[in-house]
Amino acid sequence: MNENINQNKINEIANTPVVSQEISHESTLYAEPIGHIGSMQITNSLFTTWIVVIIVLILTLIIKIKAKLIPKGIQNVFEVLVEGAMDLADQVTGSKKITAKVFPLAFSIFIFVLISNWLGILPLGGFGLVETTEHGRAFIPFIRSGTADINTTLSLGIMSVIGANIFGILSIGLWKMFNKYVNLKAFGEIVTKVRKEPAILISAPIMFFVGILELVGEFAKIASLSFRLFGNVFAGEVLLMSMSAILAYGLPIPFMGLELFVGFIQAFIFSILTLVYFTIAAQDHDEHEEDEGKHVKEVLV
Amino acid sequence: MDSFITTFHIDWKIIIAQAINFGLIFLLIYFFALKPIKKIMSERTTSIEGGLNDAKNNKALLAKTQKEYNEIIVRARTEAHEIFLEGKKEAEDKKKIMIENAKVEVENMILSGKKSLESEKIKIIEEAKGEIVSLVVKATEKLLESHKDENFDKKALEQIKKI
Repeated sequence: MNENINQNKINEIANTPVVSQEISHESTLYAEPIGHIGSMQITNSLFTTWIVVIIVLILTLIIKIKAKLIPKGIQNVFEVLVEGAMDLADQVTGSKKITAKVFPLAFSIFIFVLISNWLGILPLGGFGLVETTEHGRAFIPFIRSGTADINTTLSLGIMSVIGANIFGILSIGLWKMFNKYVNLKAFGEIVTKVRKEPAILISAPIMFFVGILELVGEFAKIASLSFRLFGNVFAGEVLLMSMSAILAYGLPIPFMGLELFVGFIQAFIFSILTLVYFTIAAQDHDEHEEDEGKHVKEVLV
Repeated sequence: MDSFITTFHIDWKIIIAQAINFGLIFLLIYFFALKPIKKIMSERTTSIEGGLNDAKNNKALLAKTQKEYNEIIVRARTEAHEIFLEGKKEAEDKKKIMIENAKVEVENMILSGKKSLESEKIKIIEEAKGEIVSLVVKATEKLLESHKDENFDKKALEQIKKI
């Protein structure tokens, strides 16, 4: 009996795949799970985003408590940042009214993306878990830039584009916004204008098709926003890891500087594009075309 | 699409969680940072504008006050000069009147002094006359007593008659 048991154990050990004792750390396209809450996976990117929330909470509380009529320290920095950003946003939107409405969102996106990007560069990647997988023992860091996970950037992109469309509906109305994508108005104009302008028989279907393209364009916006940010930040992390693998001491430093710059630029691009999408959504195409028509006539006269 | 989802581990729960995280950040930034800072900045702008307006008003007020002050000073100097001239004139008039009065009083005093001297003189003369008469009478009486004879009486009577 005992011999049989021992034989089974020997067989079990023999059948068990050989696990390498070396701990590997590979960059994955996805954020690695570091825990669970119920059925929900907690990834290292999500954990980093929680840290971002805590950092923002601390900073904003300090600003709120220390805010005085005569500014000092962090309030000075924040005021300079806000004023500069508002001037820039004014230049992008071309309207103080739109800026006043959209700026808080764009600014929040900028801060969120910036801190997320920069947290990934911090040399805290040494803290993490060692998990045994079928390929061996793998190291999973606790900190991974929030934006180095497509789920985060996709979430931001979807919010930005849906937000822009809601803003468009509130600014120009549901019917006009609907006609941007499903141009029923163009078909209606065939009936009313066909005698005066027979060419409308050709232009109206084209306009309808352009509307459909606009709709497709909205999905393209989500994809471009989310993949641009994800691609840049993920590539940065891979670059830093590669440099560390070549020479851990010193070599990654210039690339860290580069990644700080890339992190800032990506946050800036994301927020500026959000501003642009909101501004475009708030513009009435018909009015814009009429204005352009008037301008052309004026130039011709 | 499935390969895309599996390659990138797209999880709608994480997408929603990240959206909630961003929502939290938006609320924190908007209510704790942007709103109070914008309020403070607008208060500061208002107070600076008010201060500049006050400074402008104060400058205008100062210029106006300076002008009024100069006018008042000029007017006061003119008035003071006029008052001085008037006072001088009045003082001179009073001086003349006082001198005139003094002269009259002096003359009156001299006159009254002269009168009193005259009356004293007359009185003294009268008194002297009376005393002389009484002395003469007394002397005569003594003389007559010392020369009591009939001849002398006759001669004296004759002389008195002659007188």
